Amino acid sequence: MRLLLRGETYFAPILYLWGAMMSQPWTLAEPSHFSSAEQILFAVLAILSLVLFWRRFSPILRRILASKKDVDFHLAPVGKRIYDFVWEVALQGKVIRQRPLPGLAHAFVFWAFCAFAVVTLNHCAALYGAGFLDPHSPVGMAYFYFAAIFALACAAGILGLFIRRFVIRPKWLEPFSPESGVIAGLIFLLMVTYLAAFFVQPDGVAGRALWWVHALTLLAFLPIIPHTKHLHLVLSPFTVFLSRGGFSKIPPLQGDEDFGLVAGKDLTQLASLQAYSCVECGRCTEHCPANNTGKLLNPKQVILGVRAYLNEYGPQSEEALLGKHNSQKAIFECTTCGACEFQCPVGIEHLPIVIGMRRGAVNTGEWEDEHGAKLFLALERGSNALGISAIERDKFIEKNALPFYDGTQEYLLWLGCMGAYDPKGREIVLSLVRVLRYLNVTFGVLRKEKCTGDPVRRLGNDLVFQQLAEANLDALQAAHTKKIVSICPHCVRTIQEDWKEFGTPPPVEHHSEFLARHASQLPSVPSQEKIVYHDPCYLGRYRDVYDEPRTVVAHAGQLVEAERHRERSFCCGAGGGLVFLGEETGERVSHARARELTATGADVVGAACPFCNTMFQDALAAQGPDAPKLLDIAQLAARGLPETEAGPVK
Amino acid sequence: MSILVVMEERDGRIGRVSWEAFTAAQFLGTQLNQPVAVVVMGAQTEPLAAEFAGKHTGRVIRLEHALLAPYTPDGYCLALEQLIQSEKPSHLVFPHTYQVRDFVPALAARMGEVLIGDVVAISDGPVFTRQLMQGKLSGAYKHSGDGPCFVSVQAGAFRAEPVAAPSAGATATIETFSPQIDAGRIRTKPGEPFRGEAQTVDLSSAQFIVSVGRGIREADNLPMVQELATALGAELAASRPICDNGWLPMERQVGSSGQSVAPRLYLAVGISGAIQHLVGMKASQCIVAINKDPDAPIFEVADYGIVGDLFEVVPALTEAVKAAKQ
Amino acid sequence: MKIIVAIKQVPERDAPIRIAASGKWIEEADLQFAMNEPDAYALEEALQLKEKHGGEVVVVSAGPERVATTIREALAKGADRALHVVCDNLADRDALGVANLLAAAIRPESPDLVLTGLQSEDVGLGQTGVILAELLGLPHSTLILQVEKTDGGIKVKRELEAGWFQTIEMPTPAVLTIQSGGNKLRYATLMGIKKARSKELRALNAADLAASGMPVVTLEQISLPKKQKSTQILPGTGKEAAAALVEKLKFEVRVL
Repeated sequence: MRLLLRGETYFAPILYLWGAMMSQPWTLAEPSHFSSAEQILFAVLAILSLVLFWRRFSPILRRILASKKDVDFHLAPVGKRIYDFVWEVALQGKVIRQRPLPGLAHAFVFWAFCAFAVVTLNHCAALYGAGFLDPHSPVGMAYFYFAAIFALACAAGILGLFIRRFVIRPKWLEPFSPESGVIAGLIFLLMVTYLAAFFVQPDGVAGRALWWVHALTLLAFLPIIPHTKHLHLVLSPFTVFLSRGGFSKIPPLQGDEDFGLVAGKDLTQLASLQAYSCVECGRCTEHCPANNTGKLLNPKQVILGVRAYLNEYGPQSEEALLGKHNSQKAIFECTTCGACEFQCPVGIEHLPIVIGMRRGAVNTGEWEDEHGAKLFLALERGSNALGISAIERDKFIEKNALPFYDGTQEYLLWLGCMGAYDPKGREIVLSLVRVLRYLNVTFGVLRKEKCTGDPVRRLGNDLVFQQLAEANLDALQAAHTKKIVSICPHCVRTIQEDWKEFGTPPPVEHHSEFLARHASQLPSVPSQEKIVYHDPCYLGRYRDVYDEPRTVVAHAGQLVEAERHRERSFCCGAGGGLVFLGEETGERVSHARARELTATGADVVGAACPFCNTMFQDALAAQGPDAPKLLDIAQLAARGLPETEAGPVK
Repeated sequence: MSILVVMEERDGRIGRVSWEAFTAAQFLGTQLNQPVAVVVMGAQTEPLAAEFAGKHTGRVIRLEHALLAPYTPDGYCLALEQLIQSEKPSHLVFPHTYQVRDFVPALAARMGEVLIGDVVAISDGPVFTRQLMQGKLSGAYKHSGDGPCFVSVQAGAFRAEPVAAPSAGATATIETFSPQIDAGRIRTKPGEPFRGEAQTVDLSSAQFIVSVGRGIREADNLPMVQELATALGAELAASRPICDNGWLPMERQVGSSGQSVAPRLYLAVGISGAIQHLVGMKASQCIVAINKDPDAPIFEVADYGIVGDLFEVVPALTEAVKAAKQ
Repeated sequence: MKIIVAIKQVPERDAPIRIAASGKWIEEADLQFAMNEPDAYALEEALQLKEKHGGEVVVVSAGPERVATTIREALAKGADRALHVVCDNLADRDALGVANLLAAAIRPESPDLVLTGLQSEDVGLGQTGVILAELLGLPHSTLILQVEKTDGGIKVKRELEAGWFQTIEMPTPAVLTIQSGGNKLRYATLMGIKKARSKELRALNAADLAASGMPVVTLEQISLPKKQKSTQILPGTGKEAAAALVEKLKFEVRVL
């Protein structure tokens, strides 16, 4: 009995509202008259809110603007920027595509905010009798209904996001911020007060109360923005539009005092803008191979670390960046797979920041690592990252009668360190050579080839990288190189993009692109073998090549996909120079990926990168006797070829 | 004119390389038609002189002084300088040991001469052959100075043939030469030799390594390989998968993520030869591979290979090594 | 502590070696050169001593103009200044002739310590340091892994054969040849290279330092060794192959 009474007491206002709603035509209630006291009160509160907002926002803006200029930044091509802006910001394409449900929820909140821009303006103007949308006019009514649909979707969306953040609590959203809850509450309140206004009398107490609650929520919301992750509302549209213009685009060093990101003074405006844009969604961390295998690196914390540094030391500081909110150990755990940068919905470019800090540590000699120093010394003195005598490359070329490139052949076949020295890499090269010969495509190898500099580039050794890039560019030019083909996505990327800093590299393509074009000319072996294709980071995310290797695989057997594939493929652990560094902490990335590839039940793992290949050799063997075989797509493509007179080339 | 060969003591006896130097000196003596005299140096040279006399005839000079033990470059230079002035040899032959490298260049320089070191062959002239460019080239050297010619020979280059005991009655003549050494002229103070710390595994300085790979199949088979390592006096090492499985500790891992090694002998048992492993051991002086797969990449870098079942080869090899060492 | 490090520029380890027309030396025309690695260890030891005790590290190197790049590298790694003994015919001099040049350059510097690598990677004589000590009238020791400063001198750890070591004390000034591998080498950095530009590099003319007297030892001819490395597969049953291998180890490799 008592319970029932209490229940009635609680439900009374709702019942009242319900009654009111049912008895009214559904028009937005907007008080027709406001007292001057109300007008003055709102004006004072609005100014207070704006002042508070500015007081919190202006230091951030100043820090961004006081950062070092991005000398290498070019607005062109504007078309691409507009396209990205429309897709990523206006249409929320990236957000939805990567996390469909939360993405849609977020999109509704975002679109509701856009729709509400007009509503809110009218809401405030109405206070001073300057409302421009009449709730009773057809236009006004139509717009308010339009906004109401978004308000409904937004309220549902924010409720969903709230539940996810505070009930489901995924690991990458850590640490949990109570502010997010407050903000979610405010947004929910904004929507509810708007919607409720359709069901009350405009000049009744309820109507006026709803107007004020809505207005006050708005005014309370504004000052909270700058010092929470909701700053992305203001900044991220700029961040997305003002991207560096290229995936993992590493800016050239400027002048004699620039060694990369050593201290705050080296952070550029774009880096600072990005640091303040982070919305802490944790997509970067969710997909980070290092973080997923128990390592210290957390890409979200890297960006937040830069932000915390800027807040504490400012953009012109001489204080070292590493050791203050960012650790050197974590920075050197990055495989540069680019999953973070690729996933980021607010346009943060993690790689220039991570590699920038590595540059700072390596170019000044701060980074001391036994294996790293060995790699650098090998490339200071020798020609390859493996520290093997170049004579071994000569012997391999001679033994297999590979012709030298003289400018007349169609392709320069770039061997790379793995293709020239690694027994497995050599098998891949020789398979490709068989295909080239079968197709009567002429090719030649460079007499003297040095490492492209990929591992030193990603580890931040600009000195050695420049030496290697320049030596190779000279050699290619001297050979009158027209076109390059390589089995290594790392070589391809470094030649094509990173060498641009020191000259004009010839066009280069990965062998998957070549093989896909010629797949139909190759005899296929009818095979029911299931082949799971592993997307190498430097071919997929870095070069946007996903379909070509699949064409080659499909030619050789049944293509199956691993759980994470294409743009969301999971790294093998070799990139960023890490294959040359010492033992990993935590689980090996290669083992995590090998497990996933094995779980597909495939007979063969199709690889397209000699580094992935070398990582998976051990990792697949560790999966037990039933682990799939490991073959490069060149080996798959060559399977159907007739054996040469001298017997099959290994 | 004569040829002096300076013998070095090892564990109380004449070291093997010194016998090889003696072989080289004898060869030179035959060529130049000069007698070879043997020099034993130290504070107590009697046992060495006796050891030599038990095996050969000829002349032995005991270059003895209390200050010649322990070895110091200053002491040795002073003593030999005086002997050279007295003997006026045409050639001095040394084993190319760490000790010889430490003082002979200074002694030669003192006499306006240069040591022809690390000689691997001697031919008519005499022409001395030594390696250049890390063994990529051979160089033929000639001596043209007025003073004695200093030569040191590489270990193993001249085989010290076992000789029959001298016939009864024929013995070596042993004489003693006492140099004047002023203690004040010995500027370095050497301490007692000591062993490297034994508790940590230091593969990088190991002379012999037996390394095991996935071909071993189970941890239970490791003792078989350990036995071979023990017979060879080698450290046991492994490729990454073995250490990953915890069959051997991580510090025994050879390769890009483990240690880089350069032993005189690297015996790879059941290792296929992934590049990560090869980069860690390619600097080894001699590589032997045992693997059942004739196409295994390890054979690309090996000096000697046995294609076969390691479970058959390894025990046979252990027995053969034990027999050879006896 | 004022430390002089004598370094040599040698052909890069990978460099394809061709014999010059004279038959007495290699064709240097399109060779690439690098710092002799054992000397890099000597430089590293010097830099670490300076970091510990203060002082100055001076690099000295003899050779033609191209040697300057290797000197710059040493300056980039942290040496304070350098002496370049310009000499176009280094290969014509014997070890004593080269050491005479270096000694003449080092003498006026009156260093506390002279370090150099154990041997060079090209001719591999392993004598320059020891001869330098004799010419400078200084005590020396070779195959040094560690150097410690003591009152009035130094205490060093010397490598002996077969895994043995020895500690040796001596007064300074002294000459040491450094064994490779005692330290971890540092890599060259962009910052180092930029700083090196403003460091002093003084060129000394070889002819002014020491007359190139007649060498007492001459390199008459160089040649390629007879056989190249190839894998010998030992056939037969397990037992036969094992026996064959033991023979090889005993008589060809000489490790048993």
